[in-house]
Amino acid sequence: MDEQLDLAPCGFVSFGDDGGMLAVNATLTGRLGYDRDELIGRHVETILAVGSRIFYQTHLFPLVRLHGKAEEIFMLLRGKDGEQIGVLCNAVRRPRGSGHVTDCVLMEVRERRKFEDALLQAKQEAESAHQALQSRTAELERANRQLESQSLELELQQQHLEDQASELTIQGEALQTLNDELVRRGEELERQRVAANEANQGKSMFLAVMSHELRTPLNAIGGYVQLLEMGVHGSVTDAQREALGRIDRSQRHLLRLINDLLNLSRIEVGRVHYTVESVGLAGLVANVMPMVEPQIAARGLLAEISVPPAAIARVDPEKVEQILLNLLSNAVKFTGAGGSVVVTGGNDPSSETLVYIRVSDTGLGIPSAFLERIFEPFIQVDDSATRSSEGTGLGLAISRDLARGMGGDLTAESELGRGSAFTLTLPRDVDY
Amino acid sequence: MTGDRHPRYAEILRRNNVKMFGRGTQPMLFAHGFGCDQNMWRFITPDFQDEYRIVLFDYVGAGGSDVKAYDAERYGTLEGYARDILDVVEALELDDIIFVGHSVSSMIGVLAANQQPGRFERLILIGPSPRYINESPYVGGFERADIEGLLDMMDRNFIGWANFLAPAIMKNDDRPELGEELTASFCSTDPIIARNFAEATFLADNRADLTRVSVPSLLLQCSDDMVAPQEVGEYLHREMPGSTLRVMRATGHCPHMSDPDETVMLIKEYLASPATA
Repeated sequence: MDEQLDLAPCGFVSFGDDGGMLAVNATLTGRLGYDRDELIGRHVETILAVGSRIFYQTHLFPLVRLHGKAEEIFMLLRGKDGEQIGVLCNAVRRPRGSGHVTDCVLMEVRERRKFEDALLQAKQEAESAHQALQSRTAELERANRQLESQSLELELQQQHLEDQASELTIQGEALQTLNDELVRRGEELERQRVAANEANQGKSMFLAVMSHELRTPLNAIGGYVQLLEMGVHGSVTDAQREALGRIDRSQRHLLRLINDLLNLSRIEVGRVHYTVESVGLAGLVANVMPMVEPQIAARGLLAEISVPPAAIARVDPEKVEQILLNLLSNAVKFTGAGGSVVVTGGNDPSSETLVYIRVSDTGLGIPSAFLERIFEPFIQVDDSATRSSEGTGLGLAISRDLARGMGGDLTAESELGRGSAFTLTLPRDVDY
Repeated sequence: MTGDRHPRYAEILRRNNVKMFGRGTQPMLFAHGFGCDQNMWRFITPDFQDEYRIVLFDYVGAGGSDVKAYDAERYGTLEGYARDILDVVEALELDDIIFVGHSVSSMIGVLAANQQPGRFERLILIGPSPRYINESPYVGGFERADIEGLLDMMDRNFIGWANFLAPAIMKNDDRPELGEELTASFCSTDPIIARNFAEATFLADNRADLTRVSVPSLLLQCSDDMVAPQEVGEYLHREMPGSTLRVMRATGHCPHMSDPDETVMLIKEYLASPATA
């Protein structure tokens, strides 16, 4: 090797394609701490740091082999004591002898390396700032996507609510239609009720007129029977007298039925007039009892009357007597031999404004299913025990209507087989 | 070639800068290693082009490839590079392939062959290593700090914009004089891509893929290769079924460049033997 190379201020090394070092100048051996003999023949990797060895094998050697030269390559050398020395390397490969030799000049970089370190650090900082920015951007994008999907979700929910609202509107309209229909039916029913009422009043009017028309010939029949019995038209045989008796009884029966019908009709038409006065309950009962005593005696019943004279009502006495007669007749009619009929009365213990009269019997009693219906017109308890009983079935209906017409009421209690009790309440004479 | 070419034929040819030549029919597919491009094969392909159809290419990011096709996620592992090989194989409809891979391309070739073993007849692996970092009792040759030293070295050289590492400039088809100038710039590579490739290469561990190899292989182990030490070659030979190990006289990591004659001779010898696993 040219001795002048030893004087150069930079390192010099030459090696073959197999990497074996052929020459090293004194500048390089001195810097690395080797003797020249320790390096000649050894692979050039000997003076390279490990990272540089890979770099040499993968980059520098292929480049020099293909390109013939390389310029300003940074390499880390490794001194004998392990010190790492940064150098810039220029290399040229050219034929020499039977093969090729690569001549390599190495210039140590100290100041430049500091600048490079600063540049590298700045580059790394810029890269990590860029990465942070990217990850922040990605974060924001994710947040944005999330907001978008939430927004979409809200839109879907809103759509759902709108669907429900329109469904409710449809249902509301259906309900309105249904309601309109119900109102319409209600009005229709009201019209029908009014019409039925009018028809019923017409019927009652007809019955009132007819009853009146029927009573006139019946009275004539009764009158003429009496005249015949009195012998006005000649003497009457026993057989004729018996026949006249039967005609008379039938006439009376018919007349009673017609009177009942007439009363009901009058009440329904609203033509009943009440002549109200203060009357003692005891007197009212006393007036009626004689009318049923013959039947009580005939049936062998026990009658008990217990009405204090102090109980005073404001009523139409004739109407009250009619009610009491009806109640007592029923009690007698439906009570078997040996039974009893009890009449009690007085101030109503549950009301400051009412008095009461109760008619109880120990008769057949009324089935509970019928108890509610006995006050309806034309109702009779239909079983073998009552079939023979006479009457229109209007008595209780008329009685309740009369009681209510005076501001009172008529109610019934009964136990089948043990008897019945009818309670008539009436307005009390509070001034008394 | 007929009109019934693979739909991606033109795209892959352009993307991976594929070059085909030779008078034979059986394809020899050459895959370059980390740090260079298809130019590294120029010293040995002349010896095969009379008998075989030579197929050269550059991985995306290297040499004359289309840098715009680079996808950091895809090429973050060697699987992405294996996909490049299979893309070329599929687009060119190659079969009975003799695959020649250097350095990291050995393992990339193994990954590709494991995916489509039917396409490959033999694998010729130059300076292969399944794992560069030592992991006792496994000897890979490097500690993690060594790899970091390499990455630092690369960073520094990219700062200086040394001419050989200048990024591949776009190809300019209507200005061929520019193209010629570029082909003169061997082993050009994009600095960011090169750094990612270095990490994918030197941090990879493909030991588990070796036992699955069903294609017969030739392992060319250099003497005194500090990148792939002899223990690594022996490990590969033990693990890979149907492998033939040849330790070369050539030293260093690039015998096809430092000693093309021995490299060609060993490959021809191997190809002359029956292809059985």
